[in-house]
Amino acid sequence: MGDSEFAYGSSMSVDSMKVIAESIGIASLGDDAAKELADDVTFRLKVIVQDSLKFMHHSKRQKLSTTDIDHALRVKNIECQYGFIQPDSLPFRFASGGGRELHFVEEKEVDLTEILYAPPPKIPLDVSVRAHWLSVDGVQPTVPENPPPLSKEAQKLESVDPISKLSKPTNKDAAGKPMCGKAARLKASESVHVKQLATHELSVEQQLYYKEITEACVGSDEGRRAEALQSLACDPGLHEMLPRMCTFISEGVKVNVVQNNLALLIYLMRMVKALLDNQSLYLEKYLHELIPSVSTCIVSRQLCLRPEMDNHWALRDFAARLMAQICKTFNTSTNNLQTRVTRLFARALQCPSQTNNETGVGPSMVTTMKESEKTPLASLYGAVQGLAELGPEVIKVFILPRVRWLGERVEGALSGLGGADRLAAGNLKHQLLKVLAPVVRQLRQPPDLPDEYKRDYGYLGPSLQHAVGKIRTSPPHVSHLSHVTHTPKTVDTIASRSMVISASPAPQSPAPSTPPPQKFVIVSQQKAPQTQPASGAGHIVVHSSQPTIVRSQNVQSVVVTSGPASGAAPAQKVVVVGVQPPHHHAPPAPALVSQAPVSVVAKPVFARGGTPQQPPELDDLSHLA
Amino acid sequence: MGEKNTPLLAVLQLLRKYNLKGTEDILRKEASLGDVEFENLDLPEVELASILTSHHTESDPYSYEFAYDNLKKFIENSLDVYKYELSTLLYPVFVHMYLALILYDHNEHASNFFEKFGAEQEDYCQEDLMRLAAVKTKDQIKGNELAEIYSTNKFVVQLSRDASSQLKRFLQEQKSSTVIINIINNHIQVEVHDGPGRTQAQVRATAGGMLGEATRNENRTKVYYGLLKEPDIQVLPAPVEDEEEVEETPDKPKKKKAKKEHIFMKKPKSDPNAPPNERIPLPELKETDKIEKGKALREASKRIQLGPDSLPSICFYTLLNSGHTAICTDICDDSTLLAVGFSNSSIKVWTLTPVKLRGMKSAEKLQDIDREAGDVLVRMMEEKDRDTCRTLFGHSGPVYKVMFDPFKTMLLSCSEDSTVRLWSLQCWTCLVVFRGHVWSVWDVRWSPHGHYFVTAGHDRTARLWATDHHQPLRIFSGHLSDVDCVQFHPNSNYVATGSSDRTVRVWDCLTGTQVRIMTGHKSTIFTLAFSVCGRWLASGGNGELIVWDISTGSPAALIPPTHTAPIHALAFSRDGTILSSGSLDCNIILWDFNAITEEANGEEAGTTNNTTVQKEDKFLLRSFATKNSPIKGLHFTRRNLLLAVGSYEGSS
Repeated sequence: MGDSEFAYGSSMSVDSMKVIAESIGIASLGDDAAKELADDVTFRLKVIVQDSLKFMHHSKRQKLSTTDIDHALRVKNIECQYGFIQPDSLPFRFASGGGRELHFVEEKEVDLTEILYAPPPKIPLDVSVRAHWLSVDGVQPTVPENPPPLSKEAQKLESVDPISKLSKPTNKDAAGKPMCGKAARLKASESVHVKQLATHELSVEQQLYYKEITEACVGSDEGRRAEALQSLACDPGLHEMLPRMCTFISEGVKVNVVQNNLALLIYLMRMVKALLDNQSLYLEKYLHELIPSVSTCIVSRQLCLRPEMDNHWALRDFAARLMAQICKTFNTSTNNLQTRVTRLFARALQCPSQTNNETGVGPSMVTTMKESEKTPLASLYGAVQGLAELGPEVIKVFILPRVRWLGERVEGALSGLGGADRLAAGNLKHQLLKVLAPVVRQLRQPPDLPDEYKRDYGYLGPSLQHAVGKIRTSPPHVSHLSHVTHTPKTVDTIASRSMVISASPAPQSPAPSTPPPQKFVIVSQQKAPQTQPASGAGHIVVHSSQPTIVRSQNVQSVVVTSGPASGAAPAQKVVVVGVQPPHHHAPPAPALVSQAPVSVVAKPVFARGGTPQQPPELDDLSHLA
Repeated sequence: MGEKNTPLLAVLQLLRKYNLKGTEDILRKEASLGDVEFENLDLPEVELASILTSHHTESDPYSYEFAYDNLKKFIENSLDVYKYELSTLLYPVFVHMYLALILYDHNEHASNFFEKFGAEQEDYCQEDLMRLAAVKTKDQIKGNELAEIYSTNKFVVQLSRDASSQLKRFLQEQKSSTVIINIINNHIQVEVHDGPGRTQAQVRATAGGMLGEATRNENRTKVYYGLLKEPDIQVLPAPVEDEEEVEETPDKPKKKKAKKEHIFMKKPKSDPNAPPNERIPLPELKETDKIEKGKALREASKRIQLGPDSLPSICFYTLLNSGHTAICTDICDDSTLLAVGFSNSSIKVWTLTPVKLRGMKSAEKLQDIDREAGDVLVRMMEEKDRDTCRTLFGHSGPVYKVMFDPFKTMLLSCSEDSTVRLWSLQCWTCLVVFRGHVWSVWDVRWSPHGHYFVTAGHDRTARLWATDHHQPLRIFSGHLSDVDCVQFHPNSNYVATGSSDRTVRVWDCLTGTQVRIMTGHKSTIFTLAFSVCGRWLASGGNGELIVWDISTGSPAALIPPTHTAPIHALAFSRDGTILSSGSLDCNIILWDFNAITEEANGEEAGTTNNTTVQKEDKFLLRSFATKNSPIKGLHFTRRNLLLAVGSYEGSS
């Protein structure tokens, strides 16, 4: 009862009395007098507060307001304290100094002319009555006026502590169907409480909804897609469908990453984004499906048909931002989500020399070295982006020490012949400069000498020095913003990116013409980032807090055409996950929850496995295509 | 006047009180006190007692802690059978020790004592302790409501015969320190009951009153809880049928009649528990009232039978843009009107049906109307101005309760401005202002038969009024703190009140006396509801809900607290099978009232059912959450549809 003990003794301090006395012009109040006053004031205040509680209760509120105090004063025949009309709370300010702590009401000077000439404030809306069904024959309909059937807290509790569900009577809350008739009688007669299997039956309406939503999300009609995503992001009561939605997404990513279907991957990631944004859903139970999918879209070796042409970088950026959002929302001390994700990305950046130092010589080391030696540049880019979204501290610890090695890779690729490689290297370099410059600026003191940079950071040193210098000279407020690399504003990049979707079957692409018609994507970049002049790069660094703006300068458009496609699977639609749960793989049972994140880390194969074209899981999926 | 003389003055006052003139004169001479001081003899009783006893051994501050420790040890070491009953002694002893320490000016010791033992008192006492803790000096006792209540009243503790003899033995052993003996003698009333000691659950069920438990003797009076015989129902069917359901199929009336007879059959011919019809004079029913009653009866015949298997539908009325301003709501008996009282002193009335609200014609136009016409009631209403919502202005403080009269022609409201107002729903103006309460009026209720109404307020009284008197007919006083809620018994003969002293009391309207006092609530009681049959009374406090048996005055069943915030609305379904409770935690819960009464009857019969484990879900049928809209009113329509009203408080 520490609380109450504390409260018994709470009283006004002698100091406050003195401060108040000073404020009304009594300079020297004796200690004894102050003590006496403090005791008396405490007593009176407590009595008044106790009385005002009555008024609060009778006003059917749970929050004390200034009017309650006024009424209590009236009962005591004391004049009210006029002028305290504050709808929410009194704006007490806190100040300390000279060993004294003060709480005071800040009184701003009000400019009367400003009020006089300002347009009159809007008239508050009148009270109105609106009726809806809270329950129909004992069942609560899921309409927007009612709260979501399973609150977010309840979902959270369920995923954190599944036992709580067993101990509580499940049929009592408003969700679900009431026990009546036979079921009730059965329950009454049988004393043994049988644990109910997790029911995943969807009603017919829910099945229709699921079908409509998934089709719209991956279909070709952008308008419908926007509506569907809006519905996913806002509708309450989707939690019953979550297992299916997540399976849909994860299976979809598995299939489309193999087929290099960039557009569909983007659509799927947008679905993830919408689900994450939904205020009534708590996704932790399904992270074991979502995280591998999202990380695949970040670090996969190849995400599109023609890496030299298509803008898969945007997908990687978007997915990286999603990953950061997931980490921020769901990281707890028990699941160590951020740690695991960071480790996943950091492993991709592992440079051979470091592994040498850390693990010593051994057969495993050799394979690691080889593997990371040939980690594709695109994956490196994804890993860098993924880490960068996690914040400056992560950049400092995981990217900065590897700059030298990354620089070597970039240098090697830039001087090489492969067009795709050159493009990738250019992007990687650009990205590295963008994320590193603010961090380096914080780390190093002003005299930026090219030689030092060269010594410390290898190949990228000079460009980095240039970028840092650019930041330093730019106006302070911009540079202040620049190390907030994960502002929430940037998250909508994909959604706002212009996408041109044409249904014409003859695209300008030199795609090999294969007979079965299939939906696929051609992403063309009108301006390659590589061609940007050096000054442009500096410009970008200045605005690094707003990647949306930067990216929109080199106009990127995603062109979706339905027409001849590459020689992949002959089916019409690539992503179809049936309404029936594919129970033989990835059953969304709650028991899996605890292990789920483990499997995330255990399966980076997706990203950098030897043969990403043929992951073994795909065998199960063949019937889905 | 010197400090020294105060005890002498006290003695003088005492002598004067007992009219011992001789001794008084001698004392005055010896102490050489003048007449001047003699005039100032008006020490309050409390102080007098403290001064006179200050020369006692009790003034030793250290003995208190020791004595309290001793008592605690004795109780802890006693047998389980007595332990829980005896433990109810701890709290009053603690309180009086604290007050005594303060009276003897041992303020330091008092606060130490409080710190040391305050936290270990029962959790439901903590609220009072917080209020008591504000008292830190002798002077403040006078100003503190709670301290005064404790020092002027006796705390009631019920003990079984064996437990009380145990206690006596303990007290005899304590000869050396008289502290506890004095406190128990002076401030605690030990009620001895026959039978075995009670269990922890039993003790807890009735503990919690500000002054301990209710004594059994207080609940001996017979209460006529049965319903009145409804007089002139047989006359009614005739005026009823021609009213509005002309368009219905012609075979309808026949059916109705059959059903109605069925309803009459169900009513017992003469309820042994019912009071005589003329016990309380009731107003003659007017022609319009009869029509209204007929309508009610016809509706009732279409009622859905509710039960655990057939739960009611709930229609929820959300007050938008009201924030915290909407305070109280009421829906009239035929569910066509909704009234809401606001903190800005206004009252709004909405119509819930397509029928618009109409005002009466002006006086000149009314003169033109033929008063003998059959449709005079329709004709006198204005044709033009029709509204779905009307606002009533008049109060000058938050409106704490509004209520429609049973015949839908008047509205009562009570407010912080200590007035009760009677409004007409035809002219839409205030008809009468009833003044009488000293401070705010918390609650007002119509009698189920109209004419009478009862109010409750901050001045610790409940008052019974009639609409034709401007002064109260009865004042029910006896509560130790605010009377927070009030409710009329369905037979209009009794009034139940709930108070901040955590007791529920039932008063007889005829005699004005208290006939039941029921303890067991651990917090302020905010709302009351009588069951349809009149025997049970449900009361809701801060999350807790208790159903009382009026016939005995004991709690009928223990309902585990499910709500997490004050319950401000209770409603029984019209067939009395379901009790619904609405709370500020935005939940409406439906309770199986049949199960509750069955349990109570079962306990009476002595069948001890060992199903305490399942209690959690035994009574609870279902709970419905609203979207951040605290429930402010519940109402069952005549057809058993549940209407709930709440105000949406934003999506934060």
